[in-house]
Amino acid sequence: MSNPSASPRPFPEDRKASSLMRGLKCRECGRIYDLAPVHVCDFCFGPLEVDYDYEAIGKIMSRDSVDKGPKSLWRYKHLLPIAEEPTIGLYAGMTPLVKADRLGKALGLKNLYIKNDTVNHPTLSFKDRVVAVAINRARELGFRTVACASTGNLANSVSAHAASAGMECFVFIPHDLEAGKILGNLIYRPTVVAVRGNYDDVNRLCSEIGGEYPWAFVNINIRPYYAEGSKTMAFETAEQLGWRVPDQVVVPIASGSLLTKIWKGFQEFSRLGLVDSHPDLKVNGAQAQGCSPVYQAFAAGRTQFVPVKPKTIAKSLAIGNPADGYYALDVIGKSHGQVEAASDPEIVEGMVLLAETEGIFAETAGGVTVACLKKLAEKGAIRPDELTVAYITGNGLKTMEALTGYLPEPVGIDPTLASFQKIVNPS
Amino acid sequence: MTKLRFHMTFPEERVKEPILYEISQKFRVVPNIRRADVSDSSGWVELELEGELPEIERTVQYLRQRGIHVDPLEKTILEG
Repeated sequence: MSNPSASPRPFPEDRKASSLMRGLKCRECGRIYDLAPVHVCDFCFGPLEVDYDYEAIGKIMSRDSVDKGPKSLWRYKHLLPIAEEPTIGLYAGMTPLVKADRLGKALGLKNLYIKNDTVNHPTLSFKDRVVAVAINRARELGFRTVACASTGNLANSVSAHAASAGMECFVFIPHDLEAGKILGNLIYRPTVVAVRGNYDDVNRLCSEIGGEYPWAFVNINIRPYYAEGSKTMAFETAEQLGWRVPDQVVVPIASGSLLTKIWKGFQEFSRLGLVDSHPDLKVNGAQAQGCSPVYQAFAAGRTQFVPVKPKTIAKSLAIGNPADGYYALDVIGKSHGQVEAASDPEIVEGMVLLAETEGIFAETAGGVTVACLKKLAEKGAIRPDELTVAYITGNGLKTMEALTGYLPEPVGIDPTLASFQKIVNPS
Repeated sequence: MTKLRFHMTFPEERVKEPILYEISQKFRVVPNIRRADVSDSSGWVELELEGELPEIERTVQYLRQRGIHVDPLEKTILEG
């Protein structure tokens, strides 16, 4: 490990462009920028997004070309913001789309699917999608160092991808984070920086570092590229459903980016003629009650949300001031979807229900999604016959502590057949 | 001199107060508003503060004491 250079170097000059990407475009004022490591419009401070040449993409991308592609998210590379062939994160994506009949029966839904990103490669969460894209783009832009601020899944994925790319990696955490939270990270040998301050302080510092050092800070200066990786959740869903768009999707909301990109992914497939247009697709959001700024705004009929202090067991969704919260609300409104919120006990019930019906062990965020799916089904927002996909974004092995005290103890017996028959009493 | 960008959220009880004028009088910082949306019940402002770094730090601390939620422009960066 080495220390960062004391005096920042200029950003890399070899900013390669791709004929399929026209530039970065401000979501608010529409100004166009070079394909550089920038994320904010200089004029209006609006967020930047990759602007693609869909006409050119339409000429080279088809169902057949996708089918011949690798069994990973890179089969959709023409709709991802890289200029060259990917070299890192080659196995991310193409996770199972599970027909969830037993869970569906429990919830009264006849046509339910689970998009199972608990088995994503290499770190068992959907972050492997966004980070695979971010790291490839960062390398194309000439970066040698990557960084992030994270207490969990994002740190894991950035550290693992950086290790496999041979890049230097910095992970920023609050100093009082439990040691167990970062152990899984340290194996990849990043530099973990424990900041003496609270979550707000870590946030502020990272923003300043992001502007000061020539690093690829995945969710700051690389964010326009990083966020695009989430679209592959929609691409895979459509392809795995036989090139169809579902009637309803249920998506957990942290920053709100995943939800907006799933919507964008379906729109792009429709625009390219890869699926039939489905104007009735409803995009629903799921939040934990202990961190539910988007839910609260939705419930109050507001388009603005108020930042909150997170207090929930669903740590991977604990984002009090979500960067894309406004845009998530916009997509939910446009698609006539809804937002639900789940309490901590409901989150655990959701985890257990998913595990005991489908054999899928999800982290707490998955419990949020299942609990909110249940609420939407119970109130009739999702009808029994509608083709519904729920997005499960991380593996339960990452949040075992949330289950403490909720699960039954093992049945203890003496090492005799009599004891087994007496106590376990199998029929 | 440093320029830092912030997203500030104003609760209902602070919406009608001239807080940005106040900070430009109390501290040696120049606020430069780039985007905002303010209603009767709440509001947010995205702006740049220009000044010496310690002065910007004091300004942010003061705003937080007044009940303004101050985040970097990127809002929550620390992800799970």
